[in-house]
Amino acid sequence: MQLDAKIPEGPLSEKWDRRRFENRLVNPANKRKYEILVVGTGLAGASAAATLGELGYNVKAFCIQDSPRRAHSIAAQGGINAAKNYQNDGDSIFRLFYDTIKGGDFRSREANVYRLAQVSNNIIDQCVAQGVPFAREYGGTLANRSFGGAQVSRTFYARGQTGQQLLFGAYSAMMRQVAAGKVTLFPRREMMDLVVIDGKAKGIVCRNLVTGRLERYCGNAVVLATGGYGNTYFLSTNAMASNVTAAWRAYKRGAGFANPSFVQIHPTCIPVHGDYQSKLTLMSESLRNDGRVWVPKNSGETRDPVDIPEEDRDYYLERKYPSFGNLVPRDVASRNAKEVCDQGRGVGETGLAVYLDFRDAITRDGHDVIMRKYGNLFHMYEKITAQDPSCRPMMIYPAVHYTMGGLWVDYNLMSTVPGLFVLGEANFSDHGANRLGASALMQGLADGYFVLPYTICDYLAETGYNMHDTNHDAYTVAEEHVVQHIDALMKNRAAGKKGLQTVDDLHRRLGRILWDHCGMARNRDGLARALALIPELRQEFWDRVTVPGSGQELNQALERAGRVADFMEFAEIMVQDALAREESCGCHLREESQTEEHEALRDDANYAHVAVFEYKGEGKEAALHKEPLVFENVTPTQRSYK
Amino acid sequence: MAAKIISLNLKVWRQNGPDKKGALENYRLENISIDMSFLEMIDVLNEKLTVEGKEPVAFDHDCREGICGMCGAVVDGIAHGPEKETTLCQLHMRHFQDGQTLTIEPFRAKAFPVIKDLVVDRSSLDIIIQAGGFISVNTGSAPDANGIPVPQHKAEQAMDAAACIGCGACVAACPNAAAMLFVSAKISQLALLPQGAPEREKRALSMVQAMDKEGFGNCTNERECEAVCPKGISIRNIARLNREFLRASLLSDEQG
Amino acid sequence: MSWFTQTIKSSLGKKYIMSLTGLMLGGFLLVHAAGNSSIFFGRAAFLSYAGHLHGLGFLLHAAELLLLAIFLVHILTGTILFLGNLGARSSRYAVHNSAGGRSWGSATMPYTGMVIFCFILIHLFNFHFTDHSRTIADIVAEVLARPFYTFIYIVGLSGLGLHVSHGFWSMFQSLGISHPKYDRVIRACAWLVCGLITAVFILIVLLLLVNSNILV
Repeated sequence: MQLDAKIPEGPLSEKWDRRRFENRLVNPANKRKYEILVVGTGLAGASAAATLGELGYNVKAFCIQDSPRRAHSIAAQGGINAAKNYQNDGDSIFRLFYDTIKGGDFRSREANVYRLAQVSNNIIDQCVAQGVPFAREYGGTLANRSFGGAQVSRTFYARGQTGQQLLFGAYSAMMRQVAAGKVTLFPRREMMDLVVIDGKAKGIVCRNLVTGRLERYCGNAVVLATGGYGNTYFLSTNAMASNVTAAWRAYKRGAGFANPSFVQIHPTCIPVHGDYQSKLTLMSESLRNDGRVWVPKNSGETRDPVDIPEEDRDYYLERKYPSFGNLVPRDVASRNAKEVCDQGRGVGETGLAVYLDFRDAITRDGHDVIMRKYGNLFHMYEKITAQDPSCRPMMIYPAVHYTMGGLWVDYNLMSTVPGLFVLGEANFSDHGANRLGASALMQGLADGYFVLPYTICDYLAETGYNMHDTNHDAYTVAEEHVVQHIDALMKNRAAGKKGLQTVDDLHRRLGRILWDHCGMARNRDGLARALALIPELRQEFWDRVTVPGSGQELNQALERAGRVADFMEFAEIMVQDALAREESCGCHLREESQTEEHEALRDDANYAHVAVFEYKGEGKEAALHKEPLVFENVTPTQRSYK
Repeated sequence: MAAKIISLNLKVWRQNGPDKKGALENYRLENISIDMSFLEMIDVLNEKLTVEGKEPVAFDHDCREGICGMCGAVVDGIAHGPEKETTLCQLHMRHFQDGQTLTIEPFRAKAFPVIKDLVVDRSSLDIIIQAGGFISVNTGSAPDANGIPVPQHKAEQAMDAAACIGCGACVAACPNAAAMLFVSAKISQLALLPQGAPEREKRALSMVQAMDKEGFGNCTNERECEAVCPKGISIRNIARLNREFLRASLLSDEQG
Repeated sequence: MSWFTQTIKSSLGKKYIMSLTGLMLGGFLLVHAAGNSSIFFGRAAFLSYAGHLHGLGFLLHAAELLLLAIFLVHILTGTILFLGNLGARSSRYAVHNSAGGRSWGSATMPYTGMVIFCFILIHLFNFHFTDHSRTIADIVAEVLARPFYTFIYIVGLSGLGLHVSHGFWSMFQSLGISHPKYDRVIRACAWLVCGLITAVFILIVLLLLVNSNILV
């Protein structure tokens, strides 16, 4: 596997300009001869589909939901970063670049992150023009708030629904292209395989989730914007349908998978409260702007939180990190929550929670001001827990939230399979080992609106617009493969076996293994144990899983089974990656590699690289390749938020 | 304090396909924790049915945090169930009594044909957006974001309307299966912002035309939509839509 | 299609028609109620009002025709909307419930509409298409002295009250007249107008039941 990042020459700030100039172009009249398949319609997919449609390409857009507007980007609450410096507080493109690369613990590419910071400003312009109702000051200018890992206010927001509003912007732009006939929508479709012909990505096989029929689509290029794989852990803040399937099938067709173990555990989620629980709910990180995180000073505290006096509270983030306080990056906040809970100072019924207290903020700013800022989040919390955060502290605990890892892409967002482009959370590119708050929306839209439309052009110009049709053998082979996979999932029930287990049961067990051994803190023994347990569980899955119904209809159990089957395989490279990376960085804390103060200790001499896994065939161990990371403009330092 | 565990009798609409005849079927569920969400309760039912060798109930759901708009069913005659401003996934079982009988039906409207059980086809809402629920600005051609100031209260009102999650509960609850609240929310958002002004008239004309064509009913100001809307979208937006359409019909040069 | 036909054929256009014709019918009701309240002042006052009214001659006939036209448009459009709305939900819910939006008035609009229509027919046959050799005061006194008609009139007028209780506010909403500053005023006016019209008519009916001598 060749890992050529194709980073342009020249100074950092000129690289993107240079690439845009070097790229070949497609004549406007020829654009309509090209067909591009976009899988996924979240921020990255919808913005790419819309922009490609505007440029004149023919786009087919696929999504798993009944409408593209429901992609999980919608759930992002807090905001989107941009280096506008509207607050005049010293922000700049370089500062956003630096914060992001430092936040990622120096495990991302300088050139990619710098480009992200460069186009961040265009994104805000674009979204405002689309009618995204960002929060505003009385004078009518845009409002900003601050977010974890930054000391400037650069986050733009639309109440606690920023992801939703940005997605509606991208969705509406795409719908405009649907009306114009440039984008065709294929909702309720799940990509089941990637079709590669002569080494190039040329099409996909989808399952129509309503009829169960397999469908073939061909194009000149395939764009995956299929999100992250947090649901491997069963419990996460991801939507129920979020999955690794599209990325995993692409991996099996030759796309390298980068840094699969980089999984962000978000510090502010509603704690787990029962076995039946199907997902975890995130409370926006923006709450840490005004909420103070604390636990009782002593373990075994039984008093009600409102009765615990100031001297018996430990505001541990403020104590340990005086300059960033409650606004330390997510990985730091999560690890510290785990640490105090491990010390027996956790609160709530399970002891796996910490308090996030708004008492002081309400005293300082008044109830109304706080409610205006966080009302909808308070409301949401109260709905789930039946407790009012304006009267008593919230209880929060970390939960799996975002995956920095993903399919490996070069500077042009192309994977190791030519013609297969990967955007947004599905790729690995910009967040290194930890993503800062309000950067996921920025990256998804940067990729879709401002990066892919330029870089895909170069590939299309090179390869021309001739296409194979869907009768090509490669489609037949891929489709047969999918049919076999589905049959294998259905066979146990058809054979009338006894002692079968439901998909969710098996998935829950996989999640448990990963959370215990490949969660917030990892060590050699635990990871090795997980590596032994996962293949056993996978075997059990294939022997015991029961899937009701048939493959020729709407069958949600079958959909889940297919996704879990992929999680079962994928989990293995995730653990392998965590095991191979014998350093701590960002989200990835190896207990063997810590500073004296229990902070993540990087090993730049040996691990300043992207770990990329290559599929070597069924039953064979994946090959690990390394893309070295070179830092010419910043010096990797030990992150300090003290 | 009520028991942490309750039992329920469910009557769930089962329908095998769009053209098949459906019927309510009875199920009994024990040991339901009151901290469960309504959808987690259906998960439990489905696990039970699967183990018993029966077909689980098909129902749409995704984010389970009340924002994607994918879930929704009519519980005892009320879309998204009895709690105000709550999607089905955010409705918790603590709002129900031990031994209660609940009837769960799909959203019903001619424009929302049933696909299976509780799953309906809401693509007509997308078609309405395609008719004009956007601002025509190509990527890259936007002016600076602070170039056009927007009064704070206008931005807030626009946000109130933009909060619509497109779940279709308004249609399900409307005695006439009208989609006015949905359409008015989008029209209002874009009419309140200066960015939406250039296409304001065309948008009102085309979106209403598309709405009528999709077979939704007519608004008779019953306010049921507002009462079930999980995002609290006000019928004030419907008044604005009425105003926008009237204005566009009488004064615009545009053809719808 | 011209902009006009396109507008009135749209769902919103039909609502504008309902509101505008409703507004005119409401206006007629106010005038009618004001005129009829001359009954409270006795036979002479009532006959004098009737005399002035008929003195308008041609204008009165024109107004009657206009009223008839407005009325027919209101009924016709209402019927089209009613049937359209029935068709928009092909399968019914097994359990019906309200989340709290509907009022009695709004939920019964088509039905109170039908009640009013029947009532108006009876009303016209009582007072309009009848033997006019006697004075209108005699006819009214005779008809409304009978408890059967009192009942019919009270039912009809209650239907009217219920219809207007929703219709008046609904008219503002349909025409897009809604603003936080004026909502309460509009609501209050709606109740006031509805209450006033219904009260005046019902009082007349009750008065004539207990004391038909007032018109003798």
